[in-house]
Amino acid sequence: MDNHMMMMVRAIVRPEKADSVLKALMDAGFPAVTKYAVAGRGKQRGIKIGQVTYDEIPKTLLMSVIRDEDVEFAIKTIMEAARTKGKGAFGDGKIFVSPVDDVYTISSGVCDTAPVEEAEATA
Amino acid sequence: MKEIIAVVRMNTMNQTKQALTKIGIDSMFAHECQGRGRGLVDVKILAGASQGYEEAIALLGEKGKLYSKRMLTMVVSDHNVEPVIKTLIETNQTGKPGDGKIFVLPISNAARVRTGEIGPKAIV
Repeated sequence: MDNHMMMMVRAIVRPEKADSVLKALMDAGFPAVTKYAVAGRGKQRGIKIGQVTYDEIPKTLLMSVIRDEDVEFAIKTIMEAARTKGKGAFGDGKIFVSPVDDVYTISSGVCDTAPVEEAEATA
Repeated sequence: MKEIIAVVRMNTMNQTKQALTKIGIDSMFAHECQGRGRGLVDVKILAGASQGYEEAIALLGEKGKLYSKRMLTMVVSDHNVEPVIKTLIETNQTGKPGDGKIFVLPISNAARVRTGEIGPKAIV
């Protein structure tokens, strides 16, 4: 089995965009995603409405571990789905990519750095 | 130093915590998350959807059903990675799809806020 480098892609998106990003990822062939709610601020130091500054803006974090060569395509997919229609707006989010050393599937107990191919081999 | 991120079933949290404490990993960070996997779902629902039952298709959804999971994050020294992964697999394995995944990521540095220690001794 080829040893593929795996990458963790973490995308922080608007909560209302999470569903469309999930759908876009599913259509693009990335079924495995984990999502959780986060709160944070960006370069704009939060939003100022009147006298009040909100610097803990609720966002959704989507995490997916994919193969090295798919990263570019996945990022493009997320970008297109998460961007506010047209040119985009402040607060659309960020995408971070970090290397992953190992991936283990608990149900089979094996260390698979290429989970997709192995599934096809055993199916 | 390595960061171990494990996404596991909700109901195995207590056993996992106990098992990790036994091998000396006391510090961890846990939160609730939702996720989907490779799309291995209940055979009955799939069969229903392929026969055109609308309830079954609604259950599958177009973005894939998200299941509630627990995410454990711990930063451990290199020599602890193997026992932790072994323990996580042993305590969480049922053999069915949905048991979860474990990811191992490199961590370049760590600091203990209380004492200001920086480097490997911050996580011991």
